Amino acid sequence: MTREHRMNGFALSSRPLRHIEQAAALAALALLGACTSSGPATTASPVTAAPTVQAYTGPAPENADVQAFKISLWQNIEAPTMCGGCHHAGGQSPQFARSDDINLAYEAANTVANLTNPSQSEMVLKVGGGHNCWLASPQACADTLTVWIQNWAGSTAVGGTQIKLVAPPSQTVGPSKTFPATSAAFAADIWAPVLVPWCSRCHSDNAQTPQAPYFASANPDEAYAEAQSKINLDDPAQSRFVIRLATEFHHCWTSSCAADAAIMQAAITKFANGIPTTQIDPSLVVSKELSLYQGTVASGQNRYDNALIALYQFKTGSGSIAYDTSGVLPELDLTLSGNVTWVGGWGINIAPGGKAQGSTEASQKLASLIQSTGEFSLEAWVAPNNVTQKNADIVSYSGGDATRNATLSQQLQQYEAEVRSNTTNENGDPPLLTAAANNSAQASLQHVVLTYDPVNGRKLYVNGVFTGDVDKSGGGSLAAWDNTFALVIGSEVSSDHPWAGVMRMLAIHDRALTAAQVQQNFSAGVGEKYYLLFDVSSLVNVPQSYIMLTASELDSYSYLFTRPTFINLDPTQKPSGIPIAGVRIGLNGAEVGVGQAYIPLSSTVTAANYSPVSGQILSTVGTAIAQQKGPASDQIFLTFEKIGSKSHTYASPPPPTPPVPTNSANPDYGARTFDQLLYTMSNITGVPITDSNVASTFASIQQSLPSTPTIDAFSASNQQAVAQLAIEFCSELVNSPTLSAKFFPGLNFAQPAGTYFSSQANVNLVINPLLSNAQIVDSHGVQIATQPTVAAVTTELNALIGQLSAGQNGAGRTAAVTTAACAAVLGSAAIVLH
Amino acid sequence: MRIASKLKPALPRRAARAAASASCAVLLLAGPATPAFADPTSQAQRIYERIAGVDPPDATLTTMVADITGGNALAAAELATSDPSFYNVVLKNFVTPWTNRNQTVFAPLNDYTATVIGMVRDDVAFNTVLSADILYKSNASGLPAVSAANNNHYATAEQNGVDLKATLVATTQSAAYGLPSAATAGVMTTRGGSSAFFINGTNRAMFRFTLINHLCTDLNPIMDITRPPDRVRQDVSRSPGGDSRIFLNNCIGCHAAMDPMAQAFAYYNFDGVTTQETLYTPGVVQAKYLINSQNFNQGFITPDDSWSNRWRQGPNQVLGWSASLPGSGSGAKSLGQELAGSSAFAQCQVQKVFQAVCFRAPQNQADRAQISTMVSGFTGGGYKLKQVFAESAVYCMGP
Repeated sequence: MTREHRMNGFALSSRPLRHIEQAAALAALALLGACTSSGPATTASPVTAAPTVQAYTGPAPENADVQAFKISLWQNIEAPTMCGGCHHAGGQSPQFARSDDINLAYEAANTVANLTNPSQSEMVLKVGGGHNCWLASPQACADTLTVWIQNWAGSTAVGGTQIKLVAPPSQTVGPSKTFPATSAAFAADIWAPVLVPWCSRCHSDNAQTPQAPYFASANPDEAYAEAQSKINLDDPAQSRFVIRLATEFHHCWTSSCAADAAIMQAAITKFANGIPTTQIDPSLVVSKELSLYQGTVASGQNRYDNALIALYQFKTGSGSIAYDTSGVLPELDLTLSGNVTWVGGWGINIAPGGKAQGSTEASQKLASLIQSTGEFSLEAWVAPNNVTQKNADIVSYSGGDATRNATLSQQLQQYEAEVRSNTTNENGDPPLLTAAANNSAQASLQHVVLTYDPVNGRKLYVNGVFTGDVDKSGGGSLAAWDNTFALVIGSEVSSDHPWAGVMRMLAIHDRALTAAQVQQNFSAGVGEKYYLLFDVSSLVNVPQSYIMLTASELDSYSYLFTRPTFINLDPTQKPSGIPIAGVRIGLNGAEVGVGQAYIPLSSTVTAANYSPVSGQILSTVGTAIAQQKGPASDQIFLTFEKIGSKSHTYASPPPPTPPVPTNSANPDYGARTFDQLLYTMSNITGVPITDSNVASTFASIQQSLPSTPTIDAFSASNQQAVAQLAIEFCSELVNSPTLSAKFFPGLNFAQPAGTYFSSQANVNLVINPLLSNAQIVDSHGVQIATQPTVAAVTTELNALIGQLSAGQNGAGRTAAVTTAACAAVLGSAAIVLH
Repeated sequence: MRIASKLKPALPRRAARAAASASCAVLLLAGPATPAFADPTSQAQRIYERIAGVDPPDATLTTMVADITGGNALAAAELATSDPSFYNVVLKNFVTPWTNRNQTVFAPLNDYTATVIGMVRDDVAFNTVLSADILYKSNASGLPAVSAANNNHYATAEQNGVDLKATLVATTQSAAYGLPSAATAGVMTTRGGSSAFFINGTNRAMFRFTLINHLCTDLNPIMDITRPPDRVRQDVSRSPGGDSRIFLNNCIGCHAAMDPMAQAFAYYNFDGVTTQETLYTPGVVQAKYLINSQNFNQGFITPDDSWSNRWRQGPNQVLGWSASLPGSGSGAKSLGQELAGSSAFAQCQVQKVFQAVCFRAPQNQADRAQISTMVSGFTGGGYKLKQVFAESAVYCMGP
């Protein structure tokens, strides 16, 4: 059988085989553990260890679906440490974890599983609500359970079924409070009396074991920024700070969590009472309000996850563990250390010095599963902090700075892939880099996938599209992978090669995703989306009318709103002729100042454009709106310049008065610039600018001449260049019998200089033409007041000519002395300054 | 053979050094040591030098002195604007930095610069500089023909020291380059403008540098984060590096207004690789407007070259937009009219001339009043930039 045939055969029955394969891998791990009696004892963590799979001895599964249930869900949950501890035969109903009869367990499981939409299974919702989760994070348990049910359901779980919009509670926009700009009141009421004394041993960046968020930081401003999402100003009892103590018993500092919670609540109440409420402007045309979490969850985007072996969705939002919710055991959970903080809307923000790393034991499943298929994919949603970081390891499965199985990294605006194989070295080199010209890495949220298969080797996809970069090393075998390496995000295992940015999802597959699968996962997006229904029934006089916005958390600081849509939940309604214009988004009783992308919106709901199923979309663009109190507390509403028969006119504030520039006094004279000097000297001497020697000299010194008249910028090098140009012009002047005769009438260049210039009359034959041609004097010989004085210039020139000619009677000396005198004037302030 | 070459072994190096040092010595005696208490001759000389960059011929100086003495300094200044150096030197160096991204004055003469020089010479209304179907070329002999594919005509004219005042003749871009007349937009669509600001990138450079050069402001000083961001393109991340505060506090301040205006250039590109020509694709948006679409997939997708001026509301109303224009349109020509119709445009041109002639920015109330007077005269008198040079030179001719 050819390799291709074998692969196809595998693909046809990938799901069941996959679990057999996993079981085999786990068995191999168990054997490995049994054989390492000489090594140090390994204490199995109850959180991450795979449950013991007991031999099933009951009746055989009645059909393929029961078999799928058995291998996908049941064998993961039947252990006493899992659901089997209670929901066993004769135990608590429903007995879906019973081990005596898989068919009865299957029947019971069907009552609590939703195979069409696994995430909405009662079993998942129950565990997600905190019911006997076997991990520290109920969310992680729910996600893992979802994957198991998804695997059971196989292709029947489409997820992306029609979302049923549910009318939110009707809440009129009421008075609300927003956080003050400064931290002073927070520091006095909450930070100093409660947070610093009782929380700073962990929740401070200078704690011995820092635990984000740093709301007890020594810096009250930093603490304030971190604490706002934990405080509910409108209902202090619902603050996360209070709930964490009162009902979750999180590190209470006395024996009474209730008492500690009361202290916290009193502090928050005092802080909140000091903040005035914001009243909505009664003249505005407003919708009802709701919070993000009161929207309908827009879940069900289809991902291709059939080959998933590790998955990090970073939903936990707190703590120091990023859970592997792939459902493939053992969980390869990552420990966050250093500068790692959680990001709103799921994700972690990694700053230099931070990383998220798994244990080497748990990481073994990567090598085991990937080596058995010979191919894999690293799939990540990342937002690099910048495009100036080099050698920045985003995801690495490695043992050190120079030894790795696989690494995805950032090199400025390029992504880089290193994979160890028999065609590369132990460091995975030579690397595969995306083409520099493509600038593939951007400082924005990107979907980046590295795939590896034995034929093509490495391929990189960015935002669903193959970058086109071919792996010159080609494909090969991964047999040389080292299973003692660890999975790490944000740096090398040594903490070298740090990468700064936000990671919102990481998935590892033991198959090379196809281009279509990559595109599918890219299209599915990342993060939770909600449909927010803003009730406008009373504004348009049609019951159950809403403006629907698709909303999500863009990052820790903003919401992303997209696609405002008019929709009526009553399918029999056919709204028409409803104008909608000038839509603004409000938060907590006031319109938001920045990001109002729907102000220019102007549309009319018409019967022709309206669909009872999808409504009528009003705009296709999205916008970011800054969070104020966090997604649990921010009350969101819409206002309208016009909707139906209601309207509100927004007065345009008058333009501000233009500022008066305050320029300091400057000299009102300046230097002639390069071309001006060229033309000026040409005009004075009569030597054309096209003279070859002048042109040559000018070309070589042009940029050394003054480029600006600003006298402050005039430098010694400028003067040197001016002197060179002056000498060139004067040389050409003196060397031209025609020009020199015209310029220096009566001057005899054939005379010996020493003798000739001993006569002041002859010297004046040089000086006087210079004074007049350089317009130090006017045509009548009268001194021009703003020029250097004739006396000063004459004194300098007399001295110069005398010095150069004394005793010098050689041939050509008179011409040379004249050239020097000419250059002294042309290169002087008389010409340069004006 | 040059005589100086023959003298080299004997003297020139020493003479040159002596000359240079003498120059420095004379320089120290001049300038600030000589107070600017001017007489009509000094005033005439300064007017001429500031306008033409060279000294006046004796006869001209005499005439100018008479004009000034007779109380008509403006006539003296207008005389100075007839010197060829005003065009070949002062205007050329005044305009050249506008025509390249480095804003350097050391760039070859091109059609952008030549067109401005021609418009000034002919007193063409300068508020058409961003919208007219206009081009100036030299009719001097020995020059290559004007070409859409190279700058040889203008570069050669400069090398040959061609008298621009005497040889520039008006033509149109549509005739010379084959660009549709409706697609011409003054200096923005000259080859010089296009090759500098339509090349590569996203065409936002054309908008930004037009602002810098013709409204005298970069984007940062007029950031307004309150404008609606509905037309900010997809290539602008709303969460750069995962932090949307950067977008909401900075990026949006420029992009919210720049992107809807730079949309006017959606059909333009400059091929700097093969043809070296401006590409104009009416009805087809250039690919550069659609790149990096996944940076913010929900951003604006440019469908055409319609533009909208969002600065007509908010604090940037102070730029003084014309009430007689609609504030929106399609294509570069109407955008050019919008920009050149603002009071900031007129203010900018006058202020640039003032600074070029007086060697300083307006620094006191008298200067600002003079600027205001000249702006009124400029806008009310047919946007004649030459007149502004003359008026500025008179104002700064000294007491």
